[in-house]
Amino acid sequence: MSTVLEQIEQQIAKLSSHAVKKNTGNIRTIADGVAKIDGLSDVMYNEMVSFPGGAIGIALNLEEDEVGCVILGDVSQLKEGDEVTTTGRLLSVPVGKALLGRAVDALGNPVDGKGPIDSKETYPVEKIAPGIIVRKSVTQPLFTGIMAIDSMIPIGRGQRELIIGDRGTGKTTIAIDTIINQAKANQVGLASGDPKFRPVYSIYVAIGQKNSNIVRTISALEAAGALQYTIIVAAPAADNPANQYLAPYSGAAMGEWFMENGLDALIVYDDLSKHAVAYRQISLILKRPSGREAYPGDVFYLHSRLLERSARLDGKGSLTALPIIETLAGDVSAYIPTNVISITDGQIFLETDHFNQCIRPAVSVGLSVSRVGSSAQIKVTKQVGGKLKGELAQFRELAAFAQFGSDLDAKTKGQLERGARIVELFKQPAFSPVPIELQVAILFAMQKNFFDAIDTKKVVAAAAAMKEFFTTRKDTLLTEIRTKAALDKDLEAKLQAACDEWKSGYTA
Amino acid sequence: MAAHAKQAQQLARQLFRLSLADGAVSPAKVTGVLEYVEKHRPANPIMVLKAYERLIATELGRSQALVEHAGAVSEDVLHSIAAVLGKRYGRTLTATTRANPALIAGLRVRVGDDVYESSVAGQLASLAASV
Repeated sequence: MSTVLEQIEQQIAKLSSHAVKKNTGNIRTIADGVAKIDGLSDVMYNEMVSFPGGAIGIALNLEEDEVGCVILGDVSQLKEGDEVTTTGRLLSVPVGKALLGRAVDALGNPVDGKGPIDSKETYPVEKIAPGIIVRKSVTQPLFTGIMAIDSMIPIGRGQRELIIGDRGTGKTTIAIDTIINQAKANQVGLASGDPKFRPVYSIYVAIGQKNSNIVRTISALEAAGALQYTIIVAAPAADNPANQYLAPYSGAAMGEWFMENGLDALIVYDDLSKHAVAYRQISLILKRPSGREAYPGDVFYLHSRLLERSARLDGKGSLTALPIIETLAGDVSAYIPTNVISITDGQIFLETDHFNQCIRPAVSVGLSVSRVGSSAQIKVTKQVGGKLKGELAQFRELAAFAQFGSDLDAKTKGQLERGARIVELFKQPAFSPVPIELQVAILFAMQKNFFDAIDTKKVVAAAAAMKEFFTTRKDTLLTEIRTKAALDKDLEAKLQAACDEWKSGYTA
Repeated sequence: MAAHAKQAQQLARQLFRLSLADGAVSPAKVTGVLEYVEKHRPANPIMVLKAYERLIATELGRSQALVEHAGAVSEDVLHSIAAVLGKRYGRTLTATTRANPALIAGLRVRVGDDVYESSVAGQLASLAASV
């Protein structure tokens, strides 16, 4: 027995006498969350470095005789001369399903007061995007639950669709609606026991937002039962710019875990304008050369390397990205908006005028586009909503022309009235996404002129009544639309009969 | 200000290169450089000299093994440390000692930016970090 103990003791002695090598440096200057460090001759680009007191930094500038680091965490205790050590590790965040329903910071630490997160795996925050060979075309739909988007600007799994507009035009609302819609679809799909159903998990990254807004978003998701399928990555305005700079990459790493494990995920970056501003601040303090609007030269790469990480992988899952950009006075030709427009696969443009006219969601059909989504659109949506975009464009053109005179022929008047009804039909309150099968039923009714006899101002109420009718009384028909996903003669007849039944019982 | 600092840094680097002989700092050359600086005062001389001092100190640190210890260290141990590390870095190292009771027991050897920690204090710190 004693020999066994001696053996163990020898092993311990061997281990404990082992010298640990560390590469160190000393803080030369520290200001605005950025430290210039002497030494650290072995440090790698983007490596985590350890500061006294547990603070972590990332080496961003490797110069001839100093290293520029951004510090994540509390800098108040750090001072000139403090020793800094390399860790040999790249910044990583916890990933996995354990994060669902939780709010974390840019480093993956919980900030919701619900205790520690039991996550077994970590993923590096910075990762090279999937290459050409492993990618697959976007062919599976991702429904937002917003009729105007799903019917005219469809989004597919693995797509990057930009949401762009001025402040207060409902950009975040569209993103939250989409998350809620995924949760509702997950609940229905998982309950149905369909083995082919693929749930979509969501990640909401809040960058530079007010804490009160983040709390409101979490409450909205919780109220809709969507938080259990969602991870919130919060880097609020009170956080240092380094955290705001890292948060989208952390969110992307969490999303990649779902993608790599054969699952589908949706990530919302709210918003990348503030992300660019945080990066500009860091770059200026690091004394990197500034370019247009004082942004550094690699601000395009900042967003392209982030958004390229969203993809649909062959034999694995997908990561769909909804980046948000805030414009000033509707100027989509500014530096950051044009960058992100060119990186993404389409954009949903929100107009202030529409918003003020109570056309909400304030989607501008003319300026919005989805470059790859149409191949992901299901057949039934194409069948009932294929002509809508053209009809609406015609309506806008005619409406502008009709302002100059009242003598219009019957055909033009008809087109104007139909356009006005479509606009009314697409109005949708916040946080109430409509399932795709219900959208199909309503668009079918629109296509078959069931709303023509209803006064334009009462179309919203009529549509609400129709939704109620279908949800409460035609559940089997809705399930059939969802499962068939195409309109055959039998289904068309059933829909026609249901619409007739609704019309006979509906009084405006 | 930033431009001045950059210029001073560049000049300091030039002076530093002039202070080396066979890849090591030469005291005679350093004296010569200091005399030159005193004679031909460059712009921002304090800034230049501070940057120069930092470069020289870094270089000197690279050829020195500073052995911090808690308890006595024999000359033989010091020589063997200098020999092993000199072989690893490919240059002759001189070992100097400094007593550091905060280590509790063991040694800490510093060569330039690299620190080799084999002390109780170091082990306690890594234990605290892992808990």
